Amino acid sequence: MMRKIINNYSKKIVLIIALFTVFSCSKDINFSDLNDTIFVRHRNADMPAYIHGNGSEKIFLIILHGGPGGIGLAYRSNTIKSGIEKECAVVYFDQRGSGMAQGSYSESGINIDIMAEDILALVKVIKYKYGNDSRFFLMGHSWGGTLGPATLLKDQSDFLGWIDVDGAHNPKGIYAEYIANFNTVAAEQIEAENDINYWESVIDLVNNVAPQYNRDDISKLNNEAFEAENVLQDRGIINADADSDDNTIFKYTPLTIIWNANNTQSILDTDLFQNIDYKDRLSEITIPSLVLWGRYDMVVPIQFAQDSFDNLGSSEKELVIFENSGHSPMSTEPALFAEKVIAFINENK
Amino acid sequence: MTLKTRLLIPLVILFLNIGFSQDSKVVISSTDISESSFLDRTEFKVSYSGNIFWNNGLNFGAEYILKEYKKVKNRKRGQRTNTHQFLLNGTLGFTTNFSTKTDTGIITNYGITWRRTNKKGKQLSIAFNPIGYYRSFLPETYEVNNDNVEKIFLPGRGYYAPSISIGIGKQRLGKKITGRFFNVNLLLRTPYNAGTLPAINLQYGFRFKFKKKRNDAKNN
Repeated sequence: MMRKIINNYSKKIVLIIALFTVFSCSKDINFSDLNDTIFVRHRNADMPAYIHGNGSEKIFLIILHGGPGGIGLAYRSNTIKSGIEKECAVVYFDQRGSGMAQGSYSESGINIDIMAEDILALVKVIKYKYGNDSRFFLMGHSWGGTLGPATLLKDQSDFLGWIDVDGAHNPKGIYAEYIANFNTVAAEQIEAENDINYWESVIDLVNNVAPQYNRDDISKLNNEAFEAENVLQDRGIINADADSDDNTIFKYTPLTIIWNANNTQSILDTDLFQNIDYKDRLSEITIPSLVLWGRYDMVVPIQFAQDSFDNLGSSEKELVIFENSGHSPMSTEPALFAEKVIAFINENK
Repeated sequence: MTLKTRLLIPLVILFLNIGFSQDSKVVISSTDISESSFLDRTEFKVSYSGNIFWNNGLNFGAEYILKEYKKVKNRKRGQRTNTHQFLLNGTLGFTTNFSTKTDTGIITNYGITWRRTNKKGKQLSIAFNPIGYYRSFLPETYEVNNDNVEKIFLPGRGYYAPSISIGIGKQRLGKKITGRFFNVNLLLRTPYNAGTLPAINLQYGFRFKFKKKRNDAKNN
């Protein structure tokens, strides 16, 4: 009886074993070409990390996106994808309340402290999955330049270096800096007879906003900052964005990311612009640091670059100004951007 | 006189004119469906559900006629008969964004559909589904509690997920496929992060009856 069963089912059993073998083999990690999407569950949120590139040295560059409420994979283009991913594994992370991150928490369940702990949780997960010998660099752009210091001030022991890209380490001070920077750039452009009507309208705007932080006015100034960069780009002062071959638009449901961004910003913004300032604590960050900034950054003005560089406590630090860039040098001067980042990683890995 | 009032008066006159130009007698007669079997009163449906470029999935469901009545209106051009139905509606579907698999889930919805069918078989439907559940399925997920990291089995989250739909369709009397439809569906998932997430889906599909198929088989 038993023999009959075995004879009848032997082919099927062999096939099942073979399939199990094939699929279990496919689970092996190919470190030289990582292409993983994993979720980090931490404090009632599930946050996706998209890990791509060469992880053969187990060096991971974690990119903190802008926003708040931006998307991780927006950075997977140009030379980050074609150059930096060849040198190390790049971790594109959708932060709490951003991109395709989901979860269930109250409004008090999202703030910069918890979000910084999320990044440290991400590090623990990567070590768990890829090995305890994994090493990390942290890069923050814009709002990511606020979240980066918040993370490093909690625990910088796992990080080999900090890369600050047009980051807002002092959101509390950005309102006053907007006014000062708009006045400076508008005066320069009017003197150079560039787009005089536009820059005069900018001076009008600046003269009509409240001298101290005001929620409506900071929104006006922030929107104008992006518009000003468009004008500078049309004038050829800021390079045009390099063609990118990414298809990020298909990786995120638009309604989801817009809704997430609006909701997250509405919760975080008031505290951010009224209370958060890491300038005086940057001296506690002692890991090697690289500060990258666009000369014509209107969104996080260039004065923040010097502040960041001057106040970081690192003994090894470098400030690089991108002369033909605004807020996103990774898009407007991508070759130089990758060159600086790769050199920094190679020096400090 | 304000601009609004000046616009309103001709509109009111226009509507009154249209209204009185027709013999507005309406006869409503209830259809007796109490003798019909379960399968006679039930249509099954299958449809594509998604937003084409991002999330895509399939929905399966059934609609059971609760109440049906005919409304006959006398118009200058003759009688116009519309069939109105109230249906119990239930669906089960799945959806995914194929590119990253970060938005995969199954969903089930239950509620009431109101449908009007004219004499040409053209249909208008409005569905309200107050009972709904969405279970997301995440790829490889690790939970972090202090210094402890643990891989989660079957990771995902459950959400209360009511929905409403509005759509058009075409009845196909006497066919195996008894109708086709196109709906726009608004689904809410809550609690999602610190609020409620809306999602808009397009649904295109077919309705069919098992009863018809059985009769055909008998005839053959």
